[in-house]
Amino acid sequence: MNCTRRNFLIGGSTTLFLSGFFPKISFSSMKKKNLIIISLRGGMDGLTAIPIIGDKRLKKLRKKLILEDVLKLNNDFGLHPKLEIFHRLWKDDKAAFVHATNIPYTGRSHFDGQNLMETGAHIPYKEKTGWLGRGLLASDIVGKGLAISLPMPLLLRGVPQNNNFFPSPDFVEKKLIDKIYNEFKGDHNELIKSTLDTIRQRPLSMQIATDSGDRKKLALEAAKQLKDQSGPRVAVFELDGFDTHAAQGGVDGAHADELEEVNEIVKILSENLGNAFDNTLILTLTEFGRTIKQNGGYGTEHGYGSAILMAGGLLKKSQVYTDWPGLKKKELFEGRDLNSTIDSRAVYNSAMSICFDKDPEFLRREVFWGDDLPNLTEELFKI
Amino acid sequence: MSLNFYRRVAFGLSPTDDLPQEPLKWALNQLNSIPDFLWQGSIPTEKELRKKYGEWVYGDRKVLRKKFKNDKTSYRKAKDELRIETGERYFELNEHAIRHYQTKYGTQPVFERFWLFWGNHFAISEKDSLPEFSTGPYQREIIRPNMVKNFEEMVQAVTTSWSMIHHLDNSESVGPNSKKGIEWRETINENHARELLELHTVSPSAGYTQEDVIQLAYIMTGWGHKWSRKNLETGDVWFDQEKHQKGDKVVLGINYKNDAKRELAKVIHDLATHPICIKFVSTKLCRHFITDEPTQEMIDPVIEAWNKSNGNLIEIHKAVVTQAFKYNDNTHKFHPPEIWLMQLSRMFDLNIPLSAEKMSYTFKHKPNNKQKKLSWILRELGNSPYRAKQPNGWSDFEVDWVSPELLLRRFWFASVELPYLVKSQNKSHDFILSCLKNNFEDHEKIASLIDQFRFGTTDKDLGRKYGIICNLPGVLKV
Repeated sequence: MNCTRRNFLIGGSTTLFLSGFFPKISFSSMKKKNLIIISLRGGMDGLTAIPIIGDKRLKKLRKKLILEDVLKLNNDFGLHPKLEIFHRLWKDDKAAFVHATNIPYTGRSHFDGQNLMETGAHIPYKEKTGWLGRGLLASDIVGKGLAISLPMPLLLRGVPQNNNFFPSPDFVEKKLIDKIYNEFKGDHNELIKSTLDTIRQRPLSMQIATDSGDRKKLALEAAKQLKDQSGPRVAVFELDGFDTHAAQGGVDGAHADELEEVNEIVKILSENLGNAFDNTLILTLTEFGRTIKQNGGYGTEHGYGSAILMAGGLLKKSQVYTDWPGLKKKELFEGRDLNSTIDSRAVYNSAMSICFDKDPEFLRREVFWGDDLPNLTEELFKI
Repeated sequence: MSLNFYRRVAFGLSPTDDLPQEPLKWALNQLNSIPDFLWQGSIPTEKELRKKYGEWVYGDRKVLRKKFKNDKTSYRKAKDELRIETGERYFELNEHAIRHYQTKYGTQPVFERFWLFWGNHFAISEKDSLPEFSTGPYQREIIRPNMVKNFEEMVQAVTTSWSMIHHLDNSESVGPNSKKGIEWRETINENHARELLELHTVSPSAGYTQEDVIQLAYIMTGWGHKWSRKNLETGDVWFDQEKHQKGDKVVLGINYKNDAKRELAKVIHDLATHPICIKFVSTKLCRHFITDEPTQEMIDPVIEAWNKSNGNLIEIHKAVVTQAFKYNDNTHKFHPPEIWLMQLSRMFDLNIPLSAEKMSYTFKHKPNNKQKKLSWILRELGNSPYRAKQPNGWSDFEVDWVSPELLLRRFWFASVELPYLVKSQNKSHDFILSCLKNNFEDHEKIASLIDQFRFGTTDKDLGRKYGIICNLPGVLKV
């Protein structure tokens, strides 16, 4: 098959760039919907996760990174064998992928890139809040964010009273928390004050939990909280180690190990959210993809276009949604990277619109400064 | 000037520290020379530890993986034994002890604060077995000796150090037109070049392009470890002409003539003396010591000292301390967990690190729980020093250190773990009061908050007292 630019549009039933039409009727739906973001730090290689099959160029440029046993998605794309849960969900229309997509950032620096994937902005370090935090605030959803990490991710900042879960080896007496809270009352430090507020309102299971060494337990607790009708509506997981400059490998390499972790989290969530999984969207987020060509250490360099892995019952159907740019040298970004033909922020904006019951136009203005982001709700999600 | 100046630029005053007569002078006088390490236990050299690193990777990769190809259980067991034999689980603990002993007992604590700063500016993040074998000795032998030289010399030393080269993959970088590049059809790895620009010197505000990164990577080709069958990637750093990209290079508009290994020193000179580099690093120093968003007024004298002294670090450090002194009473700085722990340890004479005698290791058994304690605490507080997730090191911004769990970790440490670290002679209420008096103007107010527990002597009572003291607004920040 000759996969050149715009030879095919996979998934998109009509045109890719629909106008801002959004049926108001869904706003009245009162079901709690969950949005879960898994940050993949280091630059996730979309072509390792969702390899294009039938384009010989990829194999030629990646002699030492060949994937065997790829799970077949359709005639054009395969799935990395370590992402097995996505394959299972795919069959039920509960997994889908957006390919050749990224934030509009081409600078190839992790730190600038990660800053921008979280702020959703154009200039690194300029914005101090995350797009998810702003989205929550704009939707009047306060105190419903949960991070499964020790620090509070930038992505969630911008809305007060977020929680995180990464329990210490032993629990802390409530009296102590109250005492410190009192001492901070007269202090000017609003951040610590509101954080202490959140601590005081944590559910009992979080107050008494100990041990954060077990990723499974963390994902399980997250599932439990998200399932609760009055619990968090947004969760953020953090994974790193995608920066595989060396020994990236194929089925069993360094990138595969990371994908396996993504798989594990999605598996636990899908199996433990119960019916709530039907009202959930899980999306991955990364700063950039990686070069097509392998480098001197059988790894890949920082690139541009990547992919978004998606799961959950709010997906419209199983599909690889893409405006495929092609892998010929002239089709690559700067002759080296998979191009990005979809601004990934359009996907996140549309996902927030679905999960927060807000008009995507409104969110685009409130969260992304009115940037030109197409409304993809109809193509990607159940509305 | 308030007492918190001793925490702003150091770790507070210990029960045996005298109250300095002239605080600024006290601080400035600590920056002229490199204090010796006080640790009485083993302080292995970088080279010795790299040899251990080599034994560990060779043993695992070349011996065990082959020997136990089809037997996961035996492989795991043999690997655990190899960890013990090579000290893979031990050396990081020992390095933490050396470091914390220095900040607790050192007679030039202000110097030690700058040592922590530079180790983090030129961070080695958590990758391969670097935290286990390499980051500690790198900070002792590469960072520390250069703290009385100029910034450019520091960058030179860091850039060609084995740890940084390994950390940022420069050994994998081959000039595509070099002898080996043509022979092996290999090309550059941009990682190290990019971070040299972005993190170590000029920062993105210099406006460099992708082409600048590639050109700098070309200049850096050839600098790498000397690979051998026996030592694998742990051989010394050398310059391999056969990997070096031929031809002239242009970085940030400056032309570098084809000059083999001498190109690197030239480009580092230009980067390390670049006005944007000076501004970037000066701002970072002020952020660390003064406040998260230092004003131009705060930074300018540091830039001036830098320019006047041609980047002499002693002069730069003195300017930073002078500014920290000047703005001490009207700025706030929230400290990351490791510095907070070091301050608590010094102010309240806590029993960390373990004594040198108890830290000794025979390479026959796993390190015991007591030996692991300090490192475990650091990890639980979210600030294990050699395990920053990324090459930009640990953040200096308060917002990165405040989350429900990060605060709860501090509450947990102070109220649950700290009591076990109180020396038996220090359990009295009066001891706590005297430490408070040494370090806080409002010690009487703090004392009133723990007064209800004054007769308690159990660990639980101590936990209640320290839980409160250590997490008060004026203790979490200066």
